[in-house]
Amino acid sequence: MMRTIEVLLVIIIIMGASIIASLYAVLPQPRRVSPINLRRLALTTLEMLDSDHDLSTTVFKDPNDPAWGQLQTALSAALPPNIVYNLTVYSISPGTTQLYNVTQSLCNAQSLGVGSDVSTYLVASSNVTFNVTPQKIGENGGGGTLYILNCSDSNGWWITGYSAAQLAGDLYDLLSPYFITTVVVQNTTQFGQILNGTALQNETLQSAVVINTVGEAVPIPQSYATQYSGDSYAQYCFQLGKRVSQYNWTWVSIVGYPLYYVCNTGLFTGPNDQNTWGIFGMKCVGSGGLNSFLEGLDNETYNYNGNWITADPGTDSNLLTVPLSSNALYYCNYYGIYPSPIQTATRALPTSIIGQYHLNVTSYVLSQVDSWNAGAVYRHLDGYGGFMALGLTRGPDIRLTALGLLGDYKPRLFASEYTVAGTSRLVVLQLGQVGGV
Amino acid sequence: MTGATVDHLVSLIVLLGAILLFIGLFNQTIQTAVIYQQHRYLADKCSDLLDNMLLNPGDSNGTMFWGESNSTPTSFGLQDPEFTQYELSSFSLMRLDYSPGNPVYYPETTMSYSNNTLGPGASLLVPFNEVINYSTVQTLLGINGTFGFTLTISPIVAVNVIETQLNPLSVTVTVSGNGYPLANANVSYCFINVVDQSQYPSYNISGGFSVTNNAGQTFLSFPGFDGTQASYAVIVYASLSGLVGSGYYQHVSYKDNYVVPLIADFSNDSVILAHSSDIYSGNNPAPIGFNATFVLLTQDFSLRQMPLSNASGSISAGTYDNIAIPTNNTGIAVIAYEKDPGDAGIALMPWGLSSLSFPVVFGGNPLTNEWVATDIREATVNGVAYQVKLALWSLTGYQVVS
Repeated sequence: MMRTIEVLLVIIIIMGASIIASLYAVLPQPRRVSPINLRRLALTTLEMLDSDHDLSTTVFKDPNDPAWGQLQTALSAALPPNIVYNLTVYSISPGTTQLYNVTQSLCNAQSLGVGSDVSTYLVASSNVTFNVTPQKIGENGGGGTLYILNCSDSNGWWITGYSAAQLAGDLYDLLSPYFITTVVVQNTTQFGQILNGTALQNETLQSAVVINTVGEAVPIPQSYATQYSGDSYAQYCFQLGKRVSQYNWTWVSIVGYPLYYVCNTGLFTGPNDQNTWGIFGMKCVGSGGLNSFLEGLDNETYNYNGNWITADPGTDSNLLTVPLSSNALYYCNYYGIYPSPIQTATRALPTSIIGQYHLNVTSYVLSQVDSWNAGAVYRHLDGYGGFMALGLTRGPDIRLTALGLLGDYKPRLFASEYTVAGTSRLVVLQLGQVGGV
Repeated sequence: MTGATVDHLVSLIVLLGAILLFIGLFNQTIQTAVIYQQHRYLADKCSDLLDNMLLNPGDSNGTMFWGESNSTPTSFGLQDPEFTQYELSSFSLMRLDYSPGNPVYYPETTMSYSNNTLGPGASLLVPFNEVINYSTVQTLLGINGTFGFTLTISPIVAVNVIETQLNPLSVTVTVSGNGYPLANANVSYCFINVVDQSQYPSYNISGGFSVTNNAGQTFLSFPGFDGTQASYAVIVYASLSGLVGSGYYQHVSYKDNYVVPLIADFSNDSVILAHSSDIYSGNNPAPIGFNATFVLLTQDFSLRQMPLSNASGSISAGTYDNIAIPTNNTGIAVIAYEKDPGDAGIALMPWGLSSLSFPVVFGGNPLTNEWVATDIREATVNGVAYQVKLALWSLTGYQVVS
C-alpha cells in the first residue's frame, strides 16, 4: 500500500513538473518564429520614397499641403496589404527643452497589432548648405606641391579635343583644393628651374606631384636638350626619371604612351622637327623614352632600350575596354568625381615593370587585365619617386587623373553643415503586421 | 507477503508507464522548440541572404559590372555598382534566368533562350549561355545543397494602358499600386507610330506629360491619328511621391510575321532580330522589312531617341540581322516592321530590366517544402520602384530526427 502511495506521489511530482514546465515553456506564435524583418522593410520603404528626394521635399511642407496625401497614397501602395503603418515626422529643435516635436503623422490603422518594428530616417531641407573642406596633401609633412606643366612653348599629342592650357585649367580647378600649393609651370624655362631644384614660388619642391598635360609628349628645357640629346633624347627621359627619384616626385602621364616625344617649339624649329603627324616643335623619342625614365627612376645606369612595352591591342584585344578598379569606384563617390566606368586603353603597361624596376603599385585606377595595368600609381620600393600612367587612347580624361591621385593620397574630406533651426526632420516609420497567427 | 509483492509490481508498472508518458510529453515539447528554433534560424538566414544579394554588386574578373558582360560572376550580388543601398542593377537582373518562362529555341543560333515575356510585343529573350542560373547562384552564395530559394522582384506601380477610341486614337492610362489608385501621379509618355513605306517602315516618335485624376487615370488623345489601320506603341512612365513605374500598350495591324528581338551578346551590346516563323512557327512565312531605334530613359523619366547604325534591313525565315545598342544606359529597343504597306507592327525589348518594368522570378519552387521563410525589401532599379521578396527553405530536412 505504501508503495502505491509513494508511486502516486512520484507521479504527482512528475506531473507537476510537466505542468510547470509547460506553463513556462510557452512556444511562440508562428509569426514570431519566422517574422518578416519589419525594421528593414521600413527602412527600405523610406529610402525608396526618398530616392528622388520626394520624401525630403514633402516632410518640410505645410501639414495641409496635398503632398502629404500623395505621400500617404504612395506609402499605402508601396507596402504589402497585410502591413499597417504609422509614419511620424518630427522637427528637430536643438537648444530647446524638447528636442523632437511631432509635425505630422500618417497611419492606416488604429493599432499596429501585437508586434511592430520601427526605422528612422533623417532628412535635411534643401535650405541646408553643406560645405566640404578637404585635407591638404602634405599638411602633415612631406610635399604638398602640385606642379601642372602648362608650357606655352610645348605642343601636345594625343590630347585630341583639348589644349594643354584647357587641361591645365581643369586640373587646377579640380585638384588645387587638395594641395598646399599649386604651381602652374608656364614654360620650359620654368620647368628647367624646378628640374634643377629651384622653387618657383617658394613652394616645397620635395615630394611634389608633377602632371604633364601635353599627353605623349614631354616638355624639354633648352639646357637639357643640349646636354641629353643622345638616343633621340632618351637620355633626357633618363634624367627626368632620376630627378623624379631625387626629389621624390610623382610624375603623372595623363594619356597614351608616356614620354614618346619631347617638345620645345622654341628649340625644335626645323622643317622636320615634327612628330610625323604634322605637329611641329617635337622630336620623337620612341618607346625608349619610357624605358629610360624607368631606369632613371630605379637609379640604374643608363642603358638604351628601345623595346615597345605597352599592350598591343592587336594581340591583346581585351585591353581595348578596361573597367575602373573597385578602389577607384569607391573614391568616385567619396570625392564626387565620376568618369565613365569603362575606359578605352591601348597603352597599358605590363606588370613585369614592377619587378624589373623595383616598383610597387600603390593604387589601381583601372582594373588589371591579365598582366596589363592600364592605369595605376607606381612607387619605387626605396620610397623615392612615383609614377602614374594612364594608358588611355586619345583623348585624356582628367577626371581619371584626379581620381588616381586622390585615390592614392586619400586626403580626407571634412564635411560641415551650415544650418538653421528647423532644417532637419526625423521621419519614423513604424510597421505592424495584421492577419495570420 | 504476496499482496505486497503484487502491490509493488503494480506500482512499478504504473511508475514506469507514467515516466514513459512524461518523457514523451517533454520530448514533444523539446522537439517542437527545436523545430521552432530551426524556423527562426531560417527566417534570420532569409533576411541576411536577401541583404547579401541586394547590398553588394557582385564581381566578375575584377569588375562589378558583370551584368554588362558575358562572364559568370565570381561573387553574386545585384546592387548597382554605381550606387549605394538598395539600388539594383538593371543589367544584372537581365541576366537572371526567368524561371516561370518556357525556354525558346532558335534554330539559326542553335541556342535556347530564357523567356521573360511581359505581353504581346514586349519580350526579353536571353541565351542560356549568358544567363546566370539557379545552381550557380546557390554555389556563389554558399548555400548549395543546404538552402533553396525563390527571388521575386516585381514592380510596385502598375501602369495599364488600354485603347478607348481608335479614330482618332485615345487611350486610358490607369496607375495603381497594390490596388490603390495613384491619384495626382505625374505621367510622361512616348508615342511611337509606324509609318509604312515600300521597303521597310519608318516611325514617328512624340511624347508628352499628364497627371492622373482621383481614380488614378488619365486620358491621352492623339488627334488626327487613326488607330484602326496603323501600328503603334505607347510607353508610359508614372511617378508619385518617389514611386515610379512604367507600362506600355502596343497595337499591330499585322501578326502573321513579325520581328523577335533576342539578346546576342551583352559585352558587345548586340541584339539579334529574328523572324517569328523560326521561333514560333506560323503560316505563310514572308520576308519582313524592319527599322529599329533606341529610346533612352532620361532622369525625368521621359524617353529620348538615340538612333542606331545599320538600323534597317530585311529578314526572312531562316535569316536574321543584328543591331548594336550604342549605350550602357537603360532604355528600350523599338523595332518597327512591315511585310507590305498596311501590314506592319512594332516590337519592344527592354535594355535594362526596369525600362518596361519587367519582373524577375528566379530560383526554385517553394511549394513542396515544409516551411518557407519569406522576407521583403523595397528597392529601386534605375529609379523604378520594385518590391523584392525572397522565399527560403532548408534542403537538409526540418525534423529533429530525420
